[in-house]
Amino acid sequence: MSGGEVRTVLRQMAAIAALSVAVAAVFHLPLIKRFARGEFREAFFLPEDFPGIRMIGVLEAEDLWAGGRAVFLDARPEFLFLEGHIPGSRNVPYEMDAARLPEDILALPPERTLVVYCEGGECRSSLDLAKLLHDGGLRDLRVVAGGWDAWKQAGLPEERGR
Amino acid sequence: MIRSRVVLVLFRVAVGGLFIYSGIVKVVDPLGFAQDVRDYRVVGQALSFLAAVVLPWLEIFAGLFLASGLMKRAAAGIVSGLLIFFIVLVAVTMIRGLDVDCGCFGALSRRAGPGLLLEDAAMLSMALCVLFEPRRKPGNG
Repeated sequence: MSGGEVRTVLRQMAAIAALSVAVAAVFHLPLIKRFARGEFREAFFLPEDFPGIRMIGVLEAEDLWAGGRAVFLDARPEFLFLEGHIPGSRNVPYEMDAARLPEDILALPPERTLVVYCEGGECRSSLDLAKLLHDGGLRDLRVVAGGWDAWKQAGLPEERGR
Repeated sequence: MIRSRVVLVLFRVAVGGLFIYSGIVKVVDPLGFAQDVRDYRVVGQALSFLAAVVLPWLEIFAGLFLASGLMKRAAAGIVSGLLIFFIVLVAVTMIRGLDVDCGCFGALSRRAGPGLLLEDAAMLSMALCVLFEPRRKPGNG
């Protein structure tokens, strides 16, 4: 390639990069605003910060559910819980206050398996709830990646109301 | 250096397609990808988020241009740069002994390991072929 060609290619590379940044900024604007407001600043944690928290897929969640080996917690607001949830799960709407966590859950043995989920997509309340529970001493917390949406899409059983 | 036009088109479509796919998977779940980036323990919170927002789109557009043939050298340059970066990142991660999900294809990702290095190297060689494809004279096939 000649010098002129190299310059053209470099200019085009810069153009593609600029296009990507611009589209990313427009497409993810709501998310970027939320980040700027300070949301999920702590969301991307390292495993050693919360050694008891693991992300699991919906299949592993189903396995735990079918075997009755875990307590299922629904971190969504009550009205969503009433519209439909994983059968047998308990509604613990995430609030940023650790003092509001149900005491009987905090009193569970630390090694008890808890499965936490929220709406799906970009929801983070399940992870936030899991962190609170981790701070509360529980050490086997599994957060369902994809949340309720993934569960529903997989055609797994649901329950309505209380 | 490979000169066959058909082979080079195949290379472009294959690598470009993979980049488009890998980008779309990440655009759908930016926060999940940000966690993947963070897991590599190279950058902090803010940069993980920034990378998760921009990188997938860069993959998509570089892949689109590469596959379509429009500004293909520039696209091949970006793709090569990204692949070199991924290879160094995965190699460093392996040397550090970290057990990390590669974060390459969303839920289809696997561990950052030797197989991944080979795949990246294969894609890199294809991209480099396109980048340094000799310019043909018009009407010369």
